[in-house]
Amino acid sequence: MTLNVSTAAVRVEGLSRRYGAIRALDAVDLTLDRGITGLLGPNGAGKTTLLSILATVSEPDAGRVSVFGLDPADAAERVEIRRGLGYLPQELGYHRYFTVAAFLDYVAILKEITDRRRRAEEVARVLAVTGLEDRARSRIRALSGGMRQRLGIAQALLGGPDLLILDEPTAGLDPEQRLRFRELLSDLPDEPAIVLSTHQADDIAAICPQVIVLLKGKVQFTGTPAGLAGTAAGRVWAADERDDRAHLSWRGGDGRWRHIGDEQPPGAELVTPTVEDGYLLLSHAAGDR
Amino acid sequence: MTSSFPGAAGAAWHAGEDLLASYAAGTAEAVDGWSVEAHLTGCASCRAALSAQVDPERLARNRSALLVRAAIGDGGRARRLLRRCGVPDHVVSLLAATPSLRGSWLGSVIAVVAVVAGEAAAVSYGWIPGGGLVAGRPGAVILAPFLLVAPLLVLAGVAAAFLPVFDPAWRLAAAAPFSGFTLLLVRAVCALAAALIPVTGAAFVLPGPGWLPVALLLPSLALSAAALAAATVMDPRAAAVTAAALWALPVLWLASAHVPLLIVAPDAQVACAAALCACAAVLYLRRDRFELGWMR
Repeated sequence: MTLNVSTAAVRVEGLSRRYGAIRALDAVDLTLDRGITGLLGPNGAGKTTLLSILATVSEPDAGRVSVFGLDPADAAERVEIRRGLGYLPQELGYHRYFTVAAFLDYVAILKEITDRRRRAEEVARVLAVTGLEDRARSRIRALSGGMRQRLGIAQALLGGPDLLILDEPTAGLDPEQRLRFRELLSDLPDEPAIVLSTHQADDIAAICPQVIVLLKGKVQFTGTPAGLAGTAAGRVWAADERDDRAHLSWRGGDGRWRHIGDEQPPGAELVTPTVEDGYLLLSHAAGDR
Repeated sequence: MTSSFPGAAGAAWHAGEDLLASYAAGTAEAVDGWSVEAHLTGCASCRAALSAQVDPERLARNRSALLVRAAIGDGGRARRLLRRCGVPDHVVSLLAATPSLRGSWLGSVIAVVAVVAGEAAAVSYGWIPGGGLVAGRPGAVILAPFLLVAPLLVLAGVAAAFLPVFDPAWRLAAAAPFSGFTLLLVRAVCALAAALIPVTGAAFVLPGPGWLPVALLLPSLALSAAALAAATVMDPRAAAVTAAALWALPVLWLASAHVPLLIVAPDAQVACAAALCACAAVLYLRRDRFELGWMR
């Protein structure tokens, strides 16, 4: 029994999960192929719940999951999935006294790399990939946020996974750190399938060929970033002043107001929609903002 | 280049190209490898010849791996001792990340045991006048604090070895292929043993019956097993608290009746043995619950 890397990386059918009265996932269906897939949604949309189920950390209440053709509900197949999995949880937990190298060594053991020499080689490899060679002896708590995220990626890369699951990897990073992080993901060797969650649309536009929008536990969009932007085509108007008649308005990077609505506000011009415009329109329609 | 040994003698001998190639690739026989290493120290020409045989990328990888091993270190005396005793290196690393096996935790356990046992001993030997004396002689009631605390300390050590709240990296462990049940057992058994040593040692110096040190073993084991078994059907924290209550309530009740030693009497030992067997069976049958994380 091995991972069948010729199939879709992940297939999910009718996935549901509740926490008490809160429905975190509501009959989610999706298929993830190789390459980078961005999971976009606001806080509380169910992204972390979905990723923790894909990472075999928690169970769904209902529905089926298949990772490279294997079923995580089966104990033996679940172990096989984990052998091909790299997971970066939203909060990278580590013991207070760990150095970078000791932490990676520990995670490598959890990934069944028990031979000491092989483990050291593998730790050295992921340190080189993530540019952390000079930090091997540093305490993790002494690292900057950006370096900790690199360390998170490094531990996920141990063992050469076929599927990388990254939960909010750019949260808490400043713009420069986010740029570096995107470069790191884009330049990863061996091209594993990557699923990353974020609530920032520009992450998606920058590095994800596929995007899934999750709102209130439901999949609202699946497609390309261009397709997501296209959902707002003909409905985005740029102006210097705010217009209260628009469905919603926000300020773009150029400082101008972007009004999303069917009617042209006075003095506004029709502009090409962005991923942010498409995402905001979907969120607005779903009543999430 | 002269031909390789055997047969070549003294300084006149040099390693042949085939031998250097197999040495560089790591495929040379052990004795041949040692001989080459001994020779290389004093022979510049063979060192130069060896350089040509070595893949620079492989050399760089080896250097990086060596630097990583140096950065990880050997973990200090305790870890070296465990390795010398034959414990596999990766198991030692897993144990080192167990909170209840770290020096600060074990120090706290020893301190609590010392305080509780010291108080009982002080009363017994008359260093503290009055307290706990029955008709001018030490009564069993002075052992009540120790009887209450000792198995709970063992239980706390085991709980700290498996509760997610004590393992910041538990999500990484839950998503990793290493068996969660094996990890749990290795850590719990070692935490149990580490806590039992000071507890049993203190029982030897207490003024109670001579069988007291042995009598604490079964309750400690049964409580720990109960916490682990209960964690397969309920929240792990609730499981640990429930197990603690199962011990604390009867001890307090018996202490209030001035018969605290009944909690470790033969009838209680039989009950603990039965509970241990039942909990071990539940733990084994429901071991899969430890393989899927702790989020439910």
